[in-house]
Amino acid sequence: GRGGGKMGGGSKVVVEPHRHEGVFVSRGKEDALLTKNLVPGSTVYNEKKVNVDGPDGTKVEYRVWNPFRSKLAAGIIGGLDNIWIKPGSKLLYLGAASGTTVSHCADIVGPEGCVYAVEFSHRPGRELINMAKKRTNVIPIIEDARHPHKYRMLVGMVDVIFADVAQPDQARIVALNAHNFLKNNGNFVISIKANCIDSTVDASVVFASEVKKLQQEQFKPKEQLTLEPYERDHCIVVGFYRPTKKAK
Amino acid sequence: FTMGYKQLFLLYESASGYALFERNEAEELASQLESVQANIQDMAKFGKMVNLKAFIPFTDPENALENINDVSEGVLNKLLEDFLEANLPSTKKDKKAKFAVGVIDTRIGNAISDGMSVPCISDPLVLELLRGIRLHFHKFLDGVKEGDLTQAQLGLGHAYSRTKVKFNVHRADNMII
Repeated sequence: GRGGGKMGGGSKVVVEPHRHEGVFVSRGKEDALLTKNLVPGSTVYNEKKVNVDGPDGTKVEYRVWNPFRSKLAAGIIGGLDNIWIKPGSKLLYLGAASGTTVSHCADIVGPEGCVYAVEFSHRPGRELINMAKKRTNVIPIIEDARHPHKYRMLVGMVDVIFADVAQPDQARIVALNAHNFLKNNGNFVISIKANCIDSTVDASVVFASEVKKLQQEQFKPKEQLTLEPYERDHCIVVGFYRPTKKAK
Repeated sequence: FTMGYKQLFLLYESASGYALFERNEAEELASQLESVQANIQDMAKFGKMVNLKAFIPFTDPENALENINDVSEGVLNKLLEDFLEANLPSTKKDKKAKFAVGVIDTRIGNAISDGMSVPCISDPLVLELLRGIRLHFHKFLDGVKEGDLTQAQLGLGHAYSRTKVKFNVHRADNMII
C-alpha cells in the first residue's frame, strides 16, 4: 500500500553504503538515496520504506530520501565532496520547516549524535515537534534563528551547521549562530536560493556575493554546487569555520 | 580587555542550571584574543584559564522552563539574582565594583547592571571564553556526562517550543482567516 511499499519486494533490492557515511543507496529497477530508519516502522512524510535482510537474519529498514523534496539530498546526488554530517555528529539545523530533511539527518547522525532543529513558523513547527517526539535525537527549537541568544540555553557546541533559511540576510544569520555555537574547524553546509536574496541580478552574481559575505565572517568555503535539475537557481556552499592552521 | 577590573566572572546559562565561572589571571596566559582562541580548544589549558565557582541546578522541568523564558527575554529573575548575589564578591553601595561579570547577551547584562549595580561586559574576550565554556561545560561538573546535558536540552527544548506554538495558535489562525 501507499507509504508502506517495499520496493521490489525485498530480496531483489540491494542496499549499499554511500560514499557519505550514514547515507545509503538502493540498487534496483531505479536507484534511490536512503537513510537507515532510526525508528523502524515509523515514517515522517509518507516516504517509502525499503526493508532488506541484514546480517544474521535480522531485517534492516531504510527510508527513501527524495532529492526533489530535500536540498541536502539533491546536493548529495549532485556529487558534494563532503556533507560533514555523519554518525555521531552534533548538527545545528537552521530552517528546519516541518522536519522532513531533519528526520533524515537524525537517521544519519544516529543515537550518538543530535540535531538542534530551529524553525520559527508555528505551523511547520508543530509538525517538527511531533516528529521529534519519536526521534529523540532531535531537539526542536521554535524560535527566530536571527536571535540565537533566545535559545542559547538549549544548544551546545556543534560540529556542523546546516542552513536553509531562505532569507535575504541569511549569511548574517548563519554567522551569528556560528559565533555562538559552531566549533573551531567545524563545518557549514548552506543552501542559497538566489531570488530570496536578490531577484534582480543573475543567480551566479548572488552566489558570489554570498560567498564573499561568508568569507568576511571567518568561513572558508571549499565547494559550491548548483542544485539543477532538482531546484532552480539554488546552490549549496560547504566549507570550514575558523579552520585551524593544520587543517588548511 | 576588562580594563579597570581586577576580577572577571562569567555567567553561563545552561538547560541544566546557571553556572558562574571565574577567570584566572595567570601570568603565562596572556589576555590576547588569539591565544585565548587557541587555548580554549584544549581542556588542559582552558581548565587553567577559568574555574567553576558555583552552579545551581534547576529543580524541575517547570523551574527550567520559567528560567529559559526569562533568560530569552533578558529578564533578571529572583533565582538568578540570588545566585549571583550569593556567589559574587559583595559590593559597597557607594563604591565602584572591582570586578565585572562577562555575559553572552547584553540584554541580560543590562538587567543585571540595573538590578544589582554589578558591571557587565560582553566584549570579544568574554565571548571567546564563553565559547570555551560551552565546549567543555560538562567537564567542569562532577559526575555529569555530555549526554546528561543533551537530555536536559531535549526536555527543555520540547517544553519551550510547545509553549511557543501554543501561545500563538490563535494569532496564526486569525491571520489565515
